[in-house]
Amino acid sequence: MQKTILVVDDEPDIRQSVKMILEVNGYKVVTAVDGDDCLKKVHEVKPDLILLDIMMPGTPVDDIVKQITDIKIAFMSVVRISDARKRGLCTQGNIVDFFQKPFNVSDLIDRVELILDEEEQG
Amino acid sequence: MNTEKFDIKKFILSKINRKLTLLFLIVGLIAPTIAIYYFYNISVSSFPEGMSGEQGLLLKTITVMIITLIAINAAIIGFFMSRSISKPIKELYNATREVETGKYDIRLDIKTCDEIEELAQAFNRTTAAQQRLEEERKEIDSAKTEFLSITSHELRSPMTPMKAQLQMLEEGYFGKLSKKQKDSLGIVIRNADRLDKIIVDFLDISRIEAARLKFNFQDTDIAQLVKDTAKFMEGFAKEKNIELVVNVDELPIIEVDPDRVSQVTRNLINNAIKFSAENSKIEITAELKKEYVLFSVRDYGCGLTSENQIRIFEPFYQVENSNRRKHGGTGLGLAICRGIVESQNGKIWVESKPGKGCKFSFTIPLKPVRQIKPIKILFSHKGTIERKLREEFKTMLGPLGAGEFDELKSKNALSRDDLVEYIDSLTDQYIIPEERGLDFKNRIERILGYEKEVINEKEDTPFDNLGDEVLGRN
Repeated sequence: MQKTILVVDDEPDIRQSVKMILEVNGYKVVTAVDGDDCLKKVHEVKPDLILLDIMMPGTPVDDIVKQITDIKIAFMSVVRISDARKRGLCTQGNIVDFFQKPFNVSDLIDRVELILDEEEQG
Repeated sequence: MNTEKFDIKKFILSKINRKLTLLFLIVGLIAPTIAIYYFYNISVSSFPEGMSGEQGLLLKTITVMIITLIAINAAIIGFFMSRSISKPIKELYNATREVETGKYDIRLDIKTCDEIEELAQAFNRTTAAQQRLEEERKEIDSAKTEFLSITSHELRSPMTPMKAQLQMLEEGYFGKLSKKQKDSLGIVIRNADRLDKIIVDFLDISRIEAARLKFNFQDTDIAQLVKDTAKFMEGFAKEKNIELVVNVDELPIIEVDPDRVSQVTRNLINNAIKFSAENSKIEITAELKKEYVLFSVRDYGCGLTSENQIRIFEPFYQVENSNRRKHGGTGLGLAICRGIVESQNGKIWVESKPGKGCKFSFTIPLKPVRQIKPIKILFSHKGTIERKLREEFKTMLGPLGAGEFDELKSKNALSRDDLVEYIDSLTDQYIIPEERGLDFKNRIERILGYEKEVINEKEDTPFDNLGDEVLGRN
């Protein structure tokens, strides 16, 4: 069954790039422009994974993440993982990965595949 | 604040007090003596038949008493007057000492209605101006670091879609590429990566400068860490068929940030690989010293001239040589290594001879430094200070001075303690006389911004060993 991934980033070029990469690799991709948009889309499409930028305008990501507890989230940020941890962003159980921007295309695909495969087995 | 030095000044000031008091006492003695002598003569001559012995004695006693009283009064007045003069001077003196230590917020409140009050007001205006400048300097400094951090983040954001698209092109997401297209794309990707590396290094530098560099301290098996790092680098070494020889002591488990230690070691090994000839070897060692672990990476590559040894830790400094382009790199790696090592109170230095290879060494203390200090990497005052130190070496040691200085610098032994130790060794070997050594130390401390030592003052002090004490205390 085709998996759906929600890509949330305020930068259109990043949104489009990630969408292209994931679509070529057989995923259905929905995009959102910020945290609030993300919450809206989550209810509409019920994605299997959310790729979420950390620094975005609007409601802070910390608050957005708290409202999504049943869907896997992978952060995708220019912020370092150590900084994100310090902000207490990586404590929630459904946060499964952290992609450091600029990401490597094949690495992104490998890790997304791994995350979604785990889901199938689990 | 230095209480000992106040004593010297107090002593001098009390001397002024004494001198003035003495002056008043003498004037108080001489003036009434002369006056009363005349008065005595006149009164004696006014008795035509001459005075009886008893009357004469009484007159003499009264005369002496009056003289003594006037003298004592004069001395008391003199004492208080001199104190009223020296007190504001003392205050001014104390205030200048405070300013020397960097307290620019000090203001004087002297109301003597004379030149000293004017002087105090001028002093207040000067310190106010200094305070303003100091604040501005701090603002500019933090603005610089902030600017670096923000621009680096801003520069990094466009890198993300750019690199993603380039990689997609390269991996054939949009169809197969011709050889020429692939070559062209290769150049773009290589340079995008290089640009990204520079940005990452800038971010690191802004963190080091703002003391925001994070250290995740954890108990670490240093020996294992060095072995793992060397293993990680083996892949790169293989390309040039270079052998990595790891030589580590039995090392205790200490609390460090393994990632940072590994980052510095990786960087040094990476440099060593870059500058080694094919089929050579690189030796990596770690040994336990008293209070630190000493790491070193030795290669048998092209080596460094003494000029390059000095400048190698400066940002963007790259050794000029024919195949430098091929080495790539940002020119910030060693500057960042220095920042990381120094923010843990460690040291990093290089020993080398052209053609014989280099040995880079660095130290990590056994106990972690949790309070991270900001370290200046870009636009540091280091250059100016070192130029001044070099000049001082030349004036103090003659033509040999410059060479000696360069040698110390190449060992990165230019901290105050290192220099004091060096000068002590000179005086111990009678290369320069003690007096000159002391002078040398003082001059160097002045350049390095330590408390100033006034040589001439020493001669006024009654304490024989004061000089040593003062120097030993810092």
